Amino acid sequence: MNKTHEIKFESPTFARRIKGMLGVDFYRLFHTPLFYIFLVIAAIIPAMVSAMTMMPDQNGNQITLYSNVWQIIAASKSLNVIEGIADYANMNMVFIFGGIMVSIFIGHDYKSGYVKQLFTTHAKKQDYMISKSLVCAFAMACMCITYFIGGTVAGLLVGYETDVNIGSLIIAILGKIIMSLGWASLYTFLNVIFRRYFGISVASSFFFGTGILIIGAAAIVEGLGLPTSFLNIFLYGASVNANLSSGIGSLLVCIVVSVAWAVIYNVAGTKLLNNCDVY
Amino acid sequence: MNAIEIRNLSKSFRGMYAVDHLNMTVPQGAIYGFIGENGSGKSTTEKLICGHLVPDGGDIKLFGRDYTDPGVRVRVGALIENAGCFPGSSVYQNLMMQCINLGIENADEEIRRVLEIVRMDDNANLKFKSCSLGMKQRIGIAMALLGDPALLILDEPINGLDTDGMRIMREILVDITKKYGCTVLISSHILGELEKIATHYGIIRQGKMIMELTASEMDSRAQVFTSLKCMDMQGAKAALCKQYTDVREEEGYIRIYDVDDTASIVDYLMKNDHVVSEIRKNKIGLEEYYIELMSKKEAE
Repeated sequence: MNKTHEIKFESPTFARRIKGMLGVDFYRLFHTPLFYIFLVIAAIIPAMVSAMTMMPDQNGNQITLYSNVWQIIAASKSLNVIEGIADYANMNMVFIFGGIMVSIFIGHDYKSGYVKQLFTTHAKKQDYMISKSLVCAFAMACMCITYFIGGTVAGLLVGYETDVNIGSLIIAILGKIIMSLGWASLYTFLNVIFRRYFGISVASSFFFGTGILIIGAAAIVEGLGLPTSFLNIFLYGASVNANLSSGIGSLLVCIVVSVAWAVIYNVAGTKLLNNCDVY
Repeated sequence: MNAIEIRNLSKSFRGMYAVDHLNMTVPQGAIYGFIGENGSGKSTTEKLICGHLVPDGGDIKLFGRDYTDPGVRVRVGALIENAGCFPGSSVYQNLMMQCINLGIENADEEIRRVLEIVRMDDNANLKFKSCSLGMKQRIGIAMALLGDPALLILDEPINGLDTDGMRIMREILVDITKKYGCTVLISSHILGELEKIATHYGIIRQGKMIMELTASEMDSRAQVFTSLKCMDMQGAKAALCKQYTDVREEEGYIRIYDVDDTASIVDYLMKNDHVVSEIRKNKIGLEEYYIELMSKKEAE
């Protein structure tokens, strides 16, 4: 038998652990086509929606989804629940594609078996949740930017008006970028719940991304006689509320709501991983 | 110090125990052969040690520390079921990801080092999906070897390998224990191969550890027998039965069990006018020992 070597064990700090996990996820993000494909999708979708408005309907009238370039980015007024398709057919759509991207990104961890390497060397499950949430939030934020570029170029080519309050536009864009963190955490959590079922992960991300559940929440809020602005405590409400007439208050709401939900989903996901078999 | 110390470990799936109050001790520096039938709980035990599964109860200590301690877990390398690599990424990229994960400085150098150990230095740029099964297993070992692991957990690493692949894998495992003082827990169905490298054995059945022993204990328990052929097989067997207690006719040979002195057997047969045409001394290997042990347990 071999002689016994003296082995020293150093506990890695939280910063070192998270740096390692983030490093892997960013490396993967930049070295696989998935991220770039979704960046292109985010840029093409607003262009396609804008092009649709050029087509006449069955009566020969032109569809008027938008009248202003920046409506492709955000709704023109404060909303808590969408009133028309145009209210939703803006940068909020990134949160739907983003959900699908997160599902594929995390799903590949499980499909390839790489998750075993991660959980063998990382005893703390919170590292996994935090890292996935941050990296996916970054990816969704990048998608918001390519959406902005694609939407602006398409809107200008179609010939929409360009009048806007620049401050509100910036706040709306920043607000939606900040909301990426909350949405990414939600999708990471959903993917941890459905980690063994890739199809269900994708479907649930799509379902939650469309904001269908806000309709139920709106009914409850109305039934209880609460102000509709109460809906801003939800990811969807705060995301829609970042609009072309927003002030700094909307941005603060986005920061608080996004961070609060990110913490909630990360804690819940960590608890789930700690108490369940990881694959 | 023991590398792995498990006490009363249990894990059930839908009310059925996969690991049933298991006790296990793996000394530091050992190559521990973990043996059992399909579904006996080997892989489940390994997954529990790696923290992939949550135990129902029991205690797992790695190098005297709780297995959830990040300090000890970062020094565990594992190959469980498959290499756990992204198929569309190259061998180098997969190894690089693990280097980043472990916070290894000089990642390039480390990747070169492990690829050299697993004899794959020329295949770094190959896409993982285009590697053969043997190569994938070796990449899995390379992944597990990154970052100077103190403990390697390998689940069936030689499954599906050809003779040459098995030899290379055997040499790799012996090398890493000798050079790096790494403890290896290895499960395998190919007991003949395991026998060539293991220093300790653990035999598991229905989730319970039924026996732990060292390679030398295994040697001393292994039965010795002499196989021979004579011109008059029946007459020779009848004569041998008068002298020795355990004489059997098996596979076209007369076998005399638990007699170490072959010369005395030949001498006895010659005195009784029997001509020996072929003779050889045999020893029951790990596989035969395991089969015998299992059939005894089955009968209990």
